Amino acid sequence: MAGSAGLAPTLRIAGLGRSFGRVEVLRDIDLEIGPGEFVGLMGPNGAGKSTLIKVLDGVYPPSAGTIRLGAQQVPSLGASPLVGFIHQDLGLIDGLTVADNLRLGQSPLRLVGPVLNRPAERAAAARALAAVGLDLPVTGPVGDLSPGEKALVAIARAFARGARILFVDEATSTLPPPDAKRVVAALRAMANAGSTVVMVTHKLSEILGATGRVVLLLDGRIAADRSTTGLGRAELVRMLASHEKGAAGPAGDPRPGPADPAAGGPGRTLLRLDGAHGGRAGPVDLVVRAGEVVGLTGTPGSGLHDVGYLAHGSLRPSRGTRTLAAGVRTALVPPHRETQGGFPDLDVGVNLTVSALRRFRGAFGLLARRRERAEGQRLVTRLKVRPADVGTEFRLLSGGNKQKVIFGRALLREAGVHVLCEPTRGVDVAARAEIYALVRRLPDEHTGVLVVTSDAEDLLAVCDRLATVSDGTVSDFRPVDDLDETALEAVL
Amino acid sequence: MTLFADDAATEPPSTAPSVPLARPAPSRTLAQSRAFGSSLTFLAFLAIFAGYSVWLGDRFLDPGARLLNLHQNVPVLLIALAAMITLVAGKFDLSVSSTASLTAYLAIGLRTEQGLPFWAVLVACLAVGVAVGLVNGFLVEYLSINAFIATLGSGGVILGISSVYSGGGPLIPSGPRAVPGWFDALGSFASRPPAAVVWAIAAVACAALVRLLGAVVPSRWDRTRSLAARTVAVAAAAALVVVGLDVPSWSGGVSWLTFLLLVVATAMWVLLELTAFGRGLKASGANPEAARLAGIHTRRHVLGAFVLGGVLAALAGVILAATQGSVAPDLAGAFLLPAFAAAFLSTVVFSAGAFTVWGTVIGGVFVVWVGQGLIVGGLPNTWTDIVNGAVLLIAVSLSTVVRIARR
Ligand SMILES: Nc1ncnc2c1ncn2[C@@H]1O[C@H](COP(=O)(O)OP(=O)(O)OP(=O)(O)O)[C@@H](O)[C@H]1O
Ligand SMILES: [Mg+2]
Repeated sequence: MAGSAGLAPTLRIAGLGRSFGRVEVLRDIDLEIGPGEFVGLMGPNGAGKSTLIKVLDGVYPPSAGTIRLGAQQVPSLGASPLVGFIHQDLGLIDGLTVADNLRLGQSPLRLVGPVLNRPAERAAAARALAAVGLDLPVTGPVGDLSPGEKALVAIARAFARGARILFVDEATSTLPPPDAKRVVAALRAMANAGSTVVMVTHKLSEILGATGRVVLLLDGRIAADRSTTGLGRAELVRMLASHEKGAAGPAGDPRPGPADPAAGGPGRTLLRLDGAHGGRAGPVDLVVRAGEVVGLTGTPGSGLHDVGYLAHGSLRPSRGTRTLAAGVRTALVPPHRETQGGFPDLDVGVNLTVSALRRFRGAFGLLARRRERAEGQRLVTRLKVRPADVGTEFRLLSGGNKQKVIFGRALLREAGVHVLCEPTRGVDVAARAEIYALVRRLPDEHTGVLVVTSDAEDLLAVCDRLATVSDGTVSDFRPVDDLDETALEAVL
Repeated sequence: MTLFADDAATEPPSTAPSVPLARPAPSRTLAQSRAFGSSLTFLAFLAIFAGYSVWLGDRFLDPGARLLNLHQNVPVLLIALAAMITLVAGKFDLSVSSTASLTAYLAIGLRTEQGLPFWAVLVACLAVGVAVGLVNGFLVEYLSINAFIATLGSGGVILGISSVYSGGGPLIPSGPRAVPGWFDALGSFASRPPAAVVWAIAAVACAALVRLLGAVVPSRWDRTRSLAARTVAVAAAAALVVVGLDVPSWSGGVSWLTFLLLVVATAMWVLLELTAFGRGLKASGANPEAARLAGIHTRRHVLGAFVLGGVLAALAGVILAATQGSVAPDLAGAFLLPAFAAAFLSTVVFSAGAFTVWGTVIGGVFVVWVGQGLIVGGLPNTWTDIVNGAVLLIAVSLSTVVRIARR
């Protein structure tokens, strides 16, 4: 089974292009990827990474170019049993067991007639999991697994189906660092065993730490394609930045400093949770004051995001109390943008202003649509959303651009307490720096911020003090100033 | 909070990236523009009518007869708008036709049987609409019952109430307690506003068209040029229509009821497009979870949609009583399918995928006309339902195919 079928065939892509209407999203893509290669695919939001993978999968036919697998020319790779694709949603069914999920898309193991051979299926499932270094009861439902384990199950499934070439689109962007490390390590091991892995990521450390080759996609073209041996972090940042203004990013100055140094520390209390219970979280004691950025971290299964919902008010405490200072609004960036974030069929402008319509009341209480459009367009430009047009349907945006729009929506609300869950999930290096700068400018004498994230970089970049959430409870807070990345990892 | 006040100061001096990240917006040809794509079904209908005109000549191009079709279908179209508003909120209201049947009974019965003054009758009917909407909304939003099942059930109960009330028989107003004369007149095709009203409406429609065409003209044209081009185009088209269809001769033929429909539709359009409530409704329909997390009171919005739908359905029932002059059991029952057909047709007539007010009205009217054309051409009346169903299926599949092909 897994890991025994030998080397992957060489993949040759020549002159590949894809247009939507008149917009060329991909052009002249030439790539040759041999067995055992671990390729990191990078590029800013909207560069065409996901589109490239979807074209290879056969979701969209290419408008130009050829794809060859070994000696054979194929219309797409999706039909080949040798090639596996893991899109961001992973494609697992939460209600089914791990073993059943691993069996999906494979011919069933039969005992007699239509009766399934359950023990053999379970054994095969356990073997597939072992191949990616996972040891789990295969009879439990997938819904109970942590996000990292789910990603590993998806990878195990791809290889168990016989894939020798694997494409992974941002599987690690939703994972907390330890889980992300495990997933990358599993992919590395597969590449070492002779498989080919192509991984889309925005994380520099993953490119430098695990991949052997980096392909930089810019504006639908390959802007750079080189080996990572001898490539340093600074040089990689320069590679990205050379094509993009302001992409110095987190490698530069991670903390631009508070917006108003004269403010002299946090002010009045805006939000207070006392012994609040809700979802998997509780009891939670938490205070957000004006002028500060409070950070919370932990693994998503620990009730981390439920604390965010409690603070935002979308989750009512079943026990304990939540007190919001008089006249204070809250705004939320929800953690799961695909399901909780956007209105796919409505346009970007509507998606941006939906939380702040009271600001656009005009004559007779009707919406001042021109002003609303103009404000939306301003934010689209500011956050460098691509395409830079408020009339685009939200569902057509790339993942990172969706995230920018949802972040922009929270900004427009002009709330007193901003609850930002995973604010930089899936955004590129430049947008990350931009979001950090915007978050640093939020706190003032009327405004406080709560950042709920599993991304350590967010915490170091914007937070004044932070705590960890485990088993639904919040630890003691400590100031971020006396922490660096390694000390932080120790805290986690 | 002054988040954007100092944008100019903090923005890097050059906003143009060194590599043009965003390609200049490609100038689109007419055939590729989104506006053209989403009005394809509309144009297909016009093509059918042009075909009818050639085939049947004046027997189809008879403005009086076509306006009569419109007049007779006002209750259906009001029910269609009632169905549409809950569809916008992502829900289903199958009780609309039963509500209309009930208020049709009440409109005549409360007057002739119970002897209430007529204004009280009207208030009672609208109150029934509000109550039905509140019950439906409560079942769906607060008890989380599937809207399909909840409104199927409540629709059954409402229909039952109307049979209990009427004893299962028809009601014919007569004697001293008859409905007021103006109510009877409202239902009649012969009572019409002055022609000037029609011309005023036509002028507003033309102005709206000029605005709408803004989506079609090449984006590189400046404002004056674009405005001039659009005005000329609309004026030319209007002149063509006025002369070609000899509008002055029949412009006095629009009934009060049709006028009422236009007023209701305009009010609904304003509500959906220009108010925060309408925006919240659309958001709740598009993604309820995201709407809730974005700070929209989705429950209140959906409840509001059910109430509005109930009121519109109640109004449709009252008007149905006015057009018929008498009521029979489940008078509006047969309207449920055409009403939903019109509402769904609106997702393809003017837009790509969204329910719209004007799409519902125009889609509903066009379907009627397609059927009428065939009937004028010799098809027996009994074929109407087949034609209606077929038109809906063809229109929806056509635009789906086109949308997929344009991906
Ligand atoms: N079906 C479509 N129709 C029109 N435009 C599309 C469609 N799909 C994608 N695009 C556009 O193509 C561009 C590339 O999108 P893609 O999803 O490939 O970006 P990406 O590199 O994966 O970005 P991210 O890092 O944000 O995920 C975007 O500008 C997007 O809006
Ligand atoms: Mg992507």
